[in-house]
Amino acid sequence: MVIYFVFLTISAATYALFSLGLNLQWGVTGLINFGHVAFMAIGAYSTVLLSMQGVPIPIAALIGAGLSALLGLIIGLSTLRLREDYLGIVTIGVSELVRLVAKNEAWLTKGTFGVQGYPIPFTCREAYSLNMLSITCPTNSQPEYAVKILLIVWLTVICGLALWRLWLWMRFSFREATPTELSRVVLGLICGIFVLTVYVCGALSLYTYDPRAGLMLLTLTTLMVVYIGLEKLVHSPWGRVLKAIREDEEVPRALGKNVFWYKLQAFMLGGAIAGISGAFYAWQFSVFPDNFEPLVTFNAWIIITIGGAGNNLGTVIGAAIFWGYYELTRTDFFKGIFNALHLDDTQQGAFRIMIIGLILMLLMVLRPQGILGKKEELTLGR
Amino acid sequence: MSTQPLLSAQGLCKTFGGVKAVQQAGIEVAAGSITGLIGPNGAGKTTFFNLLSNFIRADSGQIELNGERIHHLQSHQIARLGMVRTFQVAKALSRMSVLENMMLGAKDRAGEKIWEVLLQPKLVQAQQRELKDKAMSILESVGLSAKANDYAGGLSGGQRKLLEIGRALMADPKLILLDEPAAGVNPRLIEDICGHILNWRKGGLTFLIIEHNMDVIMTLCDRVWVLAEGTNLVDGTPTKVQNDPRVIEAYLGID
Repeated sequence: MVIYFVFLTISAATYALFSLGLNLQWGVTGLINFGHVAFMAIGAYSTVLLSMQGVPIPIAALIGAGLSALLGLIIGLSTLRLREDYLGIVTIGVSELVRLVAKNEAWLTKGTFGVQGYPIPFTCREAYSLNMLSITCPTNSQPEYAVKILLIVWLTVICGLALWRLWLWMRFSFREATPTELSRVVLGLICGIFVLTVYVCGALSLYTYDPRAGLMLLTLTTLMVVYIGLEKLVHSPWGRVLKAIREDEEVPRALGKNVFWYKLQAFMLGGAIAGISGAFYAWQFSVFPDNFEPLVTFNAWIIITIGGAGNNLGTVIGAAIFWGYYELTRTDFFKGIFNALHLDDTQQGAFRIMIIGLILMLLMVLRPQGILGKKEELTLGR
Repeated sequence: MSTQPLLSAQGLCKTFGGVKAVQQAGIEVAAGSITGLIGPNGAGKTTFFNLLSNFIRADSGQIELNGERIHHLQSHQIARLGMVRTFQVAKALSRMSVLENMMLGAKDRAGEKIWEVLLQPKLVQAQQRELKDKAMSILESVGLSAKANDYAGGLSGGQRKLLEIGRALMADPKLILLDEPAAGVNPRLIEDICGHILNWRKGGLTFLIIEHNMDVIMTLCDRVWVLAEGTNLVDGTPTKVQNDPRVIEAYLGID
């Protein structure tokens, strides 16, 4: 159970990173990117292939991010001057292109069979050569007691900061008892409980030291750094120009801002963040070409829509909800319900996605701005 | 010509397919003046504005700002040289606050580059505080300070016009191009806008104004240029232009 929660946390944090990149591009700058998964694929493949050649893992991941940014530069240079819908078409094409190249260029990517046996952080060689994280490392690779304590302290810091951020968001809602404010308190409490559960499970598994706990700590640390950096950027003059571009790009242009260059920066930075998420994706799941289908992009769109476009905290919460839902409906309890409905395994998979669609529709009707979005923003005239 | 004009354009041409929107049109704007640009609907005034600010690239012709040739520059570079334009339909950035709209206008401030935000947060903060004061004082002067923290999308048409001019002022321009500042604005607010424009001119700003409201043109302008069918018709003082038979003909038609 504990290690299951650790798995869930890494998955959610990886998707949160991935979606934060898209949120910078779409939510903040208004660039329609339907091929976000391409950045993730480039990041995953680069990290994995480079580290198999002996490049240290962190450097490989950074090069992966750099290559993703480079892909952003190439797409951006060719399409960002055009109207935004063209960008949507080009990006979805590029993402399929990347996937198909990975599928067919077997000399580089091992083709359809995917890359196997690549190094994974905190995991000993025996375990990752089989690509099975469930194999525990021999005792001699266990960290010192003091190191374990240090790691747990670090986890405490991260979770503490997360709770503090949630508190800042909830704080103002205790005064009024309107339904919106109450729903915020309820959601905040649920998120708080989630963070605490992550903390308890993480601390326990760090103490007994499962390699996945180390990976979880690394994912959360990266997510925190990226989140704080993005929050700073979005609320800076730089972010103001991006938002102005989203609203009407002729205005910043008339005021002397190089709109094209700003769009390019947002596109590349968002791509680099998705590239880093690709590294975590590779370490957490696996690297097959078919992992990087367009569906993954649209999962990120769902996450952003749930959370509220343009809102970083909303994106992170959206990712947690998305993964929470996915994993919750795989539990025995829901399996029982599905079985009672006489659904076989494939039907169950489809049914779960159907319900996501239903939830999204309800969200669009009841709360079109997303969970953390601002209602006023939807009612404003141009 | 005794003194060099702040802005001068000669022989600007632009065709859209077979339509000759602007042909061989020119203008001169003296520093410190308020110059008007009038003409019947469809005369090509807005296209002419777009050519001056290079939102649309001219097919041919020359534009000089302060003696510097600018027709090869991109529109944002032209804005940085001190010529800022507004739009016929005022463009408020709806989902940003009025104050944010204003602060966007400032140029050459720290914090518009990623590394400055991440590496020099103190400098960025200090400059933003300064900028906020400046923005508030301009908002104060145009009577929008109470709306500073509201969404710009909630402003009325006239308030948007004011916001747009204020936002342009934040960029410390030499010359502001106003595209119909009085269109769709109630008479009371038109007076206000005219008063502000005269005030800012006293402060050393130059204006080039497209306007249909002849009262506004007569109150404000030192010199008026008339555009008809994409080309210059006449130019001169407002009174002279108003009584020119060619202008009346262009506006009303003649048998």
